[in-house]
Amino acid sequence: MLKVENLRAGYSGDDAVRGISIEVTEGSCIALVGANGAGKSTLAKTLCGLLTPRGGRVIFDGKEITGLSASEVARRGLCLCPEGRRVFGPLTVEENLLLGAYPRLPSFGPFRRAASGDLQRIYAMFPRLRERRSQQAGSLSGGEQQMLAIGRVLMANPRFVVLDEPSMGLAPLVVKEVFEAICSLHASGMTILLSEQFAKIALVVSNYAYIIERGSVVLEGASKGLAENPAVMSAYLG
Amino acid sequence: MDAKYLALVQMAVGGGVMGMAYALVAYGFQLTYAAGKAVNFGQGELVMLGAFAGITLSGIGLPYWAVVPGAMVVGALLGWFIERVAVRLALKQRNEGWILLTIIVGLFALSSVENIWGREDRPFPVPWPAEALDFFGISFTWSELAIVVGALGMMTLVELAKRYTMAGIAVQAVSADPDAAELCGIRSQSAISLSWAVSGAAAAFAGTVIGPVTTVGPTMAAALTLKAFSVAVVAGLDSGFGLVIAGVALGAAENLSGYALGSGWREAPGLILLILALALRPQGVFGKKIIRKV
Repeated sequence: MLKVENLRAGYSGDDAVRGISIEVTEGSCIALVGANGAGKSTLAKTLCGLLTPRGGRVIFDGKEITGLSASEVARRGLCLCPEGRRVFGPLTVEENLLLGAYPRLPSFGPFRRAASGDLQRIYAMFPRLRERRSQQAGSLSGGEQQMLAIGRVLMANPRFVVLDEPSMGLAPLVVKEVFEAICSLHASGMTILLSEQFAKIALVVSNYAYIIERGSVVLEGASKGLAENPAVMSAYLG
Repeated sequence: MDAKYLALVQMAVGGGVMGMAYALVAYGFQLTYAAGKAVNFGQGELVMLGAFAGITLSGIGLPYWAVVPGAMVVGALLGWFIERVAVRLALKQRNEGWILLTIIVGLFALSSVENIWGREDRPFPVPWPAEALDFFGISFTWSELAIVVGALGMMTLVELAKRYTMAGIAVQAVSADPDAAELCGIRSQSAISLSWAVSGAAAAFAGTVIGPVTTVGPTMAAALTLKAFSVAVVAGLDSGFGLVIAGVALGAAENLSGYALGSGWREAPGLILLILALALRPQGVFGKKIIRKV
């Protein structure tokens, strides 16, 4: 479903992603694991169009999407839930969710009815968002903001979700809750690419994983095998 | 009431009415700043062009209710055009060249107006009577009433559209976090274009309500930009109706200082306000980076 070929990307200076190739098949949950600064987020941003690649190709559904803007990539069904959550702080929880469905909703006409089915679906999944729907998103706790960020992505009815560091800055109990949501999402058939520093938990929820170090894939394999290999765990993942 | 006291109130009210017009022009700064972090330093020229467009449309025989939306369409197109040809290029190179570019576009508009319509001030035709209304001893004209109702109505309408349409919510999203908005499938460039068009329409609308009170001529532009800028600096570029308070206060202060110190001092409050605001809280305006360049 998604094929990344020899992708190179970075900000100023050296490449942060130095020729990474990965493949994700429909319905799978693939993990990108590696330390902070390994290039996982740069990779996630580049394949979703927030960064322009310096080389290589991104193929989604058999069509090349390299270099398309983030809004075009999102409209094709490849949606990124960004690092740091990036909810729209001054807007309400419900407005944040509605924005997730923006391409489908009428720009100037009545939009609430068009979105109400999807809103109910997200509220059923995250009941706390329903409770706080008219509250400013910036006033939510970190965990609630992460639920909102995931809910916002799901409002787009994506066919492929990239989750970038969903556990970042969250308390262990909240991390568990977020990952339960990710598991049930995967169980419902969603294709997921999960970029995560916490290797242990990422290897539990994913089928297959790429270990990334200094912008390159250093090892890949079935998640279960990687998790059971003590040499891998100590060498790359501390 | 004491006659002298009444005269002062009368002057303050008259100034406050013009201040509502300043607030409306300043509101145009807020709109584009929120979405794209840039403002049009030729906003006063857009007001003037809107007024001239209105006079021209009246001249070909259109009724007032068609003249105002017609002028707004002209303003919207001009606002969109300025962002497209000038501002976007400078922001792409991550510099503040847009400041100079919008000033240049404004100067170009000014000399075009002088060539097409001449330097004479012209009256702006209106359908309502010219006589003054009396309100507890304070008199004001229908045209002044139109400024107050028009400015408040226009700002309220745009604020409602920002909250209750998806396009408006999307513009707010772009203003809060353009990258996150892109990830939602919002084309942030379109949202910025939209905000410039609405800002241009608001400026042209301001022209059609200010014109009947002040008459319309090339000299109105520069003064309006400066005053609206003072109002925006004081009220901040993100606080909706603070503009109205700052605008009314400035307008009233102008009239009163003109009375107390002589007509040459009319412009003093705006300039003093601007200098004080820039000296005391420059970060409240554009952020440090841009102030350094100005």
